[in-house]
Amino acid sequence: MSQQDQVAGRFQQCLPVLATLALGLWIAYESFTVEDPQPYLFPQLISVAMIGLSAAALFRAIRGANRTGVGIPLDLLLRIAPGIAVILAYVLVLAPQLGFYTGSAIGFITLYSLYDPNPHLSVRTWFTRIAITAGFMLVIYLVFALALQVQTPRGLFL
Amino acid sequence: MAILCGGTIGGLLLGATPGLSPTMAVALLIPFTFHMTPTHGLMLLGAAYTATVAGGAISAILLKIPGAPANIATALDGNAMAKKGEGARALQICFISSFIGGVLGILVLIFLTPVLAKWALGFGPSHMFWIAILGVTIIGSLDSKSVIKGLLAGAVGLWIAMIGYDSIQGVERFIFSEHLEGGVHIIAALIGLFAIPQIIEMLEGGRINRQYQIIKVQPHSIVAAFRETISKTRAAVIGSVVGVVVGLIPGAGGQIAGLVSYDQARRFSPNRDKFGTGESEGVVAAESANNAMVGPSLVPLLTLSVPGSPTAAVLLGGLLIHGIFPGPNLFVEHADVAWAFINSLLVGQVLMLVFGLYIAGLAAHVVRIPPPILASGILVLSVFGAYSVQSSYSDVVVMLALGLGMYFLSKYGFSPAPLVLGVILGPIAESNYVQGQIIAEAGDGMFAYFFTGALNLFLIGLVVASIVYSVVSEIRIRRLEPRTGVAS
Repeated sequence: MSQQDQVAGRFQQCLPVLATLALGLWIAYESFTVEDPQPYLFPQLISVAMIGLSAAALFRAIRGANRTGVGIPLDLLLRIAPGIAVILAYVLVLAPQLGFYTGSAIGFITLYSLYDPNPHLSVRTWFTRIAITAGFMLVIYLVFALALQVQTPRGLFL
Repeated sequence: MAILCGGTIGGLLLGATPGLSPTMAVALLIPFTFHMTPTHGLMLLGAAYTATVAGGAISAILLKIPGAPANIATALDGNAMAKKGEGARALQICFISSFIGGVLGILVLIFLTPVLAKWALGFGPSHMFWIAILGVTIIGSLDSKSVIKGLLAGAVGLWIAMIGYDSIQGVERFIFSEHLEGGVHIIAALIGLFAIPQIIEMLEGGRINRQYQIIKVQPHSIVAAFRETISKTRAAVIGSVVGVVVGLIPGAGGQIAGLVSYDQARRFSPNRDKFGTGESEGVVAAESANNAMVGPSLVPLLTLSVPGSPTAAVLLGGLLIHGIFPGPNLFVEHADVAWAFINSLLVGQVLMLVFGLYIAGLAAHVVRIPPPILASGILVLSVFGAYSVQSSYSDVVVMLALGLGMYFLSKYGFSPAPLVLGVILGPIAESNYVQGQIIAEAGDGMFAYFFTGALNLFLIGLVVASIVYSVVSEIRIRRLEPRTGVAS
């Protein structure tokens, strides 16, 4: 491991710990500055523990002693980013706007196609993808709509 | 019976699928139980838990990819047997050994649980507070590679449990988004923290065509497999005893049980040189151990509400959504449900054996599902599962937010188990802390109530010991790293 890699590792290791430290400080601020502290007694304890543990983890990260976790290299981030974008679009836009089942079918086939190694220009590939999506959504419909009778939100479609 | 059969078959198939951990499989099943009676729901979860652990051996043997960490030792000899054309023999021996170890483990659960529960009946709020903290520190210390990060994850989980309206005065706490007004539901947290990170992990490889080198299963006589397994009494006894002992230690897990048992069976075997080359004794030792730990790992959960493993933590969530609070009063207030659950584990072992012996051929096809289909399917199932519990879209959004956060944290050595446990045990710890405070103010004060008395000191000692033990282990591993080249 080069010196540069080590520095990058330390920087990356600091990021999540800084986030938990900031969270701990915010919880402490919210818990210790209220007029009636009774409902915040337990959060006060948690905030103290979180700040102490985050400070210890930050100290170890700066020293380069945090050796757990591989971090997120750029190439990994680039590979997962399209998938995360599809997941976010499915949950935040497609399902509430188009309807649960329509949004789920689009989300399923998009995520599947994006990471399917088979050629995108093949008719056979698309036939397989559509058939698998339809089959899976049918099972989901039978289980949730008919068997469990879960009323899902409807958008433009089902 | 249909529920038990469904749970067992589903558990075997889910357990056999690489990338689906038993913990995630049980988490995904919980929303289905929400629409059942508590007894039926818990029977389904119990059968699925038992079967997923055994099902993980199918991919370990046929693909050399353990379905769960508990099946690592099984892959060593099981896959070597399969490569020799003895895949069916390996699978049959595996399920028979799992049955032997599993039944012994459940018997320990049946006889030990009421005794411990009776002892724990006298616990007061201060003791329950320390037990909740002990649950978080044990999983935080033992299930994580870094003690500090494990405890930190536990603290974050405790805070997440505080979001929403305070249960005593109804005061609004930490609601910074409209989606958090109802708080964070346990099921949304369970699915998000366990399923979403695994979905993204399946996408990490990009568009790579993964061709599993699956081995064709040739027919083999079941009677011969029974005779062979019974002839390996020494390995079965070592495996079962090691599994029971490891299972009783909270946080130790099936991986340790399987590997320790495999190592001990090799040490005492006259065929020790053949271990790793397809020796059936290795499969017997590993599989009897990882199933023997299932029952005992539930003893601390059912008696003290301290889950012994991440899957037990998920089961705790399943119990709580049905309004059943495990602990000393479980066998007083919900004895019927508790015993139905325990008995379902025992019946589940028989069903696991029967279906395991006949379903292994089918499971060989299931394990070949490409990761993109698996990831897309789990995603849709997670969304429907999170929504169906309260018919609230906020649960879906919270589930996704927690899952994405957990994925990034997991890349820096944070584990989901302590976080989940914090979410589950947070309200228990808080309510007992507040009750204890009221009692303390009427008596000798906070210090006297929470920090004195033999039981309080014993529990505090366990909290400290769990942390100290893990810190010492971490330091020892770190010192060995430069010499062995083992990366943490």
